[in-house]
Amino acid sequence: MESVMSSSPAAQPAPLSPTAAIWQDVLAQAMTGELIAAMNYTSLAEICNDPEEVADALEHAAGEQGHAAAFAAEGRKMGVPVPSNVGAKYWRQLREAFLRCIAERDFIGCLIVQEIMLESFAVASYARVGRVGRGSLGKTFAAIAAEEAEHIDHAMEILRAERARDARRFDEKVHRLHLDVMTTLAEMLTKECRTGHCEVCHGSCVKPSLFEISLSAAELRGASLQQYLKTLDMLGLPGEVTLQWVAQLPV
Amino acid sequence: MGSSVASVAAPAPAVEETAGEIDFALIGHQESWSAAAEVLAFLRGAGHPPMPDDEIRDILPWIPPRAVCHVEVGSIAPPNGDRRRGAKARGLYIDSFIPPDCLESGHMHDNLARVRAAAACAIKAGARIVSLGGFSSILIEGNFDQLPARNGTVFTTGNTLTVGFVVQGVRKMCAREGRNLGESTLLIVGATGDVGSGCARCLAPEVKRVLLSARNPERLRKLAAELSASGVQVEIAAGHEHFTVPADLVICAASLASPSLLLKRISPGAVVCDAGYPKNISPGAQIPGVRVFFGGLGQIAGGLRFAPDFHGILNRHPFPDVVHGCLLEGMALALESRFEPYSQGRGLITPERVAEIEAIAARHGIHLAPLYNAGGPIDFPAVTRKPPNRPAPIATAAARGR
Repeated sequence: MESVMSSSPAAQPAPLSPTAAIWQDVLAQAMTGELIAAMNYTSLAEICNDPEEVADALEHAAGEQGHAAAFAAEGRKMGVPVPSNVGAKYWRQLREAFLRCIAERDFIGCLIVQEIMLESFAVASYARVGRVGRGSLGKTFAAIAAEEAEHIDHAMEILRAERARDARRFDEKVHRLHLDVMTTLAEMLTKECRTGHCEVCHGSCVKPSLFEISLSAAELRGASLQQYLKTLDMLGLPGEVTLQWVAQLPV
Repeated sequence: MGSSVASVAAPAPAVEETAGEIDFALIGHQESWSAAAEVLAFLRGAGHPPMPDDEIRDILPWIPPRAVCHVEVGSIAPPNGDRRRGAKARGLYIDSFIPPDCLESGHMHDNLARVRAAAACAIKAGARIVSLGGFSSILIEGNFDQLPARNGTVFTTGNTLTVGFVVQGVRKMCAREGRNLGESTLLIVGATGDVGSGCARCLAPEVKRVLLSARNPERLRKLAAELSASGVQVEIAAGHEHFTVPADLVICAASLASPSLLLKRISPGAVVCDAGYPKNISPGAQIPGVRVFFGGLGQIAGGLRFAPDFHGILNRHPFPDVVHGCLLEGMALALESRFEPYSQGRGLITPERVAEIEAIAARHGIHLAPLYNAGGPIDFPAVTRKPPNRPAPIATAAARGR
């Protein structure tokens, strides 16, 4: 009787979904991105002079930590651990690009990297994942996409005001950061990882398997670049110029 | 660093920097994947490896509608002292980035959204007149109320000048082939559309009989009644296979699902004007003796410049400075300083309006383009202008400020 009880279905872990390993990698990428964002906002707080800006940055950092925790929780519900690796090659490069702005105490540069470039990627890709994820998984991605979009709205006001002061100088700064950050993001978003393992996926590259969860690497890249271009449009950068920037990214 | 690289890297003038300086905007799209590939290859520049075809197909549909380049068109008319820019007009080419394989009614909703977004770009840029090129014109001709709210920007489908160039081309081709228009049976495919019905009104009085083909029987009957009232012999049918007599003169004002089927049902030696968009009748589909030419194209004598220099990429024709009539209408009106919605709605094009826009265009040196088809030129003008000798880039507002 006891042995029957101990081997009852209730005591056993639920069987893993056939797509759990794919979701594990998707969640790992998302969680790593959120942790990088949290680190970036913490760094940003260190160069802010205005106490309100410091509080805002720290609040954002806490928010991103919360997102990372939410992704980890979704993994647990699925029965898989969600590893993160903020030192993985692309994420490390993105973090280093942000830290260069910190070193220059370039508040505007920091906002451009985090809010325009990295968040465009996050908002677009989370929204796509949110559409295909079932139950709480999809809801979590969609809700976090919406929260990230709110960040962008806030930053846009500051950045528009900055551009109004000197559009040419502002656009040159965006271009310089684009070459650094968006080149790395584009390499990360290529349809196949041709330059070796990304150091986040737990096994082989997840991209070729994304079709099993009704996604594709091409769709995530396309949606991210579209969001980026639309965000630059909203800032007032000329569309013919930003089109050229994006057309020159690696594929 | 070579000058071409520098010109690619140098930012073009910001839209808001040129607000108030934009006379016209042209809304278009690429009609084939090879054309789209050329545009993207140019944007990437020589320093970057070309984008593979599969990547182009993956990326292009995600590009939001936007300005691609600045355009300047010159007039042969002397500047009018009263007008600030009598001798030239400045504009923007805005691509809706409709994927070439979505140029069909099945993608109506998405395509309309793209054209609306492109129209919003034109309005934001302060364009005073906007020409709707190619499929954009087809989408909007019955849907002007779907365009975004605008203040000081007018839209034209450009169909009136397209009709003018189609009709001029038919006359020229018939003269070239020794055909007597008065003895011809003219078939118009897509007869109830804006371009088809305009062509019917212009050419019906000049031919022996008119065969009108379109899907909507009610509109067909209405057009036939209008033409018959002026004494023209008219037959109507939903499919060209149902007419009692074969045509020896054909205007395809709509792209055809099966061009070879049409060509098998017309007289040997017929003259066929492919005025649909995209053009889709190739010489390879011809039966012997049938002469196909592309209709609706005009050529600018006063010069056409792009910044960045997309010459030969955005206007891929075997002759220089050739542009679709629908786009030329907006340019001609801008050169004339007539910022009015010249062509709107469907079925309103009359011979009088065609004559008027032709006269405006001609005044500024915009004439029927030399005739050609997918096989190349079929019409060699006595004096062929040399293709670029790349014209000097447009002096942009940003460049002037430096």
